[in-house]
Amino acid sequence: MTKPTPKEIKAMADVAGVPVNAEEATRIANSIGPAFEGFAAVAGTLPFDLEPASFLLVQTAGVSS
Amino acid sequence: MSAEPALLSLTAVVQAIAQKRLSSREVTESCLERIAKWQPRLNAFMAIETDAALAAADTADAQLSKGNHQGALHGVPLAHKDMYYDKGHVVTCGSKIRRDFVATTTSTALQRLKDAGTVRLGSLQMVEFAYGPTGHNVHHGAVHNPFAIDHITGGSSSGSGSAVAARLTFAALGSDTGGSIRMPAHFCGVTGLKTTWGRISRAGAMPLSQSLDTVGPLARTAEDCALLLGLIAGADPLDPTAMAGPVPDYAAAMRQSIKGLRIGVPTAFYVDDLDPEVAKILDETVAVLKREGATIVAVELPDQRQLTAACQLVLAVEAAAYHKRWLIERPGDYGPQVLMRLQNGLAIPGVSYLEAMRWRGPALAAFNAAVAGVDAVIAPVAPVPAPTIAESDVGNSLGAEAVIQRLTRFTRPINYLGLPSLAIPAGFTRDGLPVGMQLIGRSFDEAMLVRIGAAFQRVTDFHDRVPEFK
Repeated sequence: MTKPTPKEIKAMADVAGVPVNAEEATRIANSIGPAFEGFAAVAGTLPFDLEPASFLLVQTAGVSS
Repeated sequence: MSAEPALLSLTAVVQAIAQKRLSSREVTESCLERIAKWQPRLNAFMAIETDAALAAADTADAQLSKGNHQGALHGVPLAHKDMYYDKGHVVTCGSKIRRDFVATTTSTALQRLKDAGTVRLGSLQMVEFAYGPTGHNVHHGAVHNPFAIDHITGGSSSGSGSAVAARLTFAALGSDTGGSIRMPAHFCGVTGLKTTWGRISRAGAMPLSQSLDTVGPLARTAEDCALLLGLIAGADPLDPTAMAGPVPDYAAAMRQSIKGLRIGVPTAFYVDDLDPEVAKILDETVAVLKREGATIVAVELPDQRQLTAACQLVLAVEAAAYHKRWLIERPGDYGPQVLMRLQNGLAIPGVSYLEAMRWRGPALAAFNAAVAGVDAVIAPVAPVPAPTIAESDVGNSLGAEAVIQRLTRFTRPINYLGLPSLAIPAGFTRDGLPVGMQLIGRSFDEAMLVRIGAAFQRVTDFHDRVPEFK
């Protein structure tokens, strides 16, 4: 997973309807970069049938009360 | 009986009022006296409602004199993080945008405490919209640490941590989305319970990230947290994510010994790059638990950095979505750091967000497998004791996120997994700064955490230390 560049961030923010200037885009890129890098090993590897709700199944498995 | 009723624990003051050894007025006056003395230094309260609190205390006393005991917290004065809607009261959420917002409903957690008979002292300061780990707030001023006035309280439940530590309130509701109960508990030397996601209704609590937000108490002891949890946990028709089924008897669990329990100590991540004094206190905490009969086991956890990253992706997007209207209409009314962090969510593609949400189940299963042989895991809440307010005042600078990440390194993985975690005071640095440790448990097993926390507090006194007014 590649982290967005400031230029891409500016375009995404425009599409979201919340424009940011170049300085803000640079700051955002700097802020979210580590999240993209940290998640890179997981991104694009998940099995097709995996539902977000699987979290609830795991969470409540074995809970008796 | 303590000369100053406000110095009692929640559990002790409940008994004192119920047995008429203290009146609600005496207790409330004691809290208000301490608030008047400390507030100019701490800035822990958002609103102080002296007259209303005393009137409510008198009503509670009158009821009790007629044999009408309203509930388990009859006549106990409390204040909470200013994000719990309380019908008819201003709830600022620590912001400028909601400076005049009057709630039209009351949050479920707060209503359950009211039903138990509490008296409202006012409301407590917090980080703007609960989006920050330090306690800074450009609109309402930074909250100060009672143990070291120039140091941060941690956030976002900054007022809750500060007020409980200074004995201005017996306990306070906080909220924990990325560490916001455990950080103030750690930095301010109080006990804080981050509950399992779904344990307590979030209805009427200001949202930040619906997949990560949790409601929980900060108090002086694990016993006090157990008392509050038992009152506010459980199903709620207003919040379908709140767990159905009976609420466990936390008080009974708490009285059990920890002899024979297995407590895990991570071999990596949570023990890496620790401040030497934090590392020493971790070792000492483990030694106490071992002395009390627990078996200490090394545990190898899955890569926690990936969990932190996933947490960031989820939090950023959900927070931006909640705030989008105000980001369009009122961007200038946010503080610079909160605005920057909300803007972060605009730059994360929907696919990345959903991948982070889809991975949650397997990530929790992997964590559960790694800790299958232990009853709980112990780890520091943060790698460092409280920094000063000045050195952590990074605003929206380029390095701001790095500071935030360092402080929340050990708390965010737990939010992503939705697990419960109890932060307990575990020691003090040579400079007198509190240091907390977190006990991390299985989903919905808060009973185990208060059991271990209470056992630790029966043989230590860190939770009893009262900051001096210098």
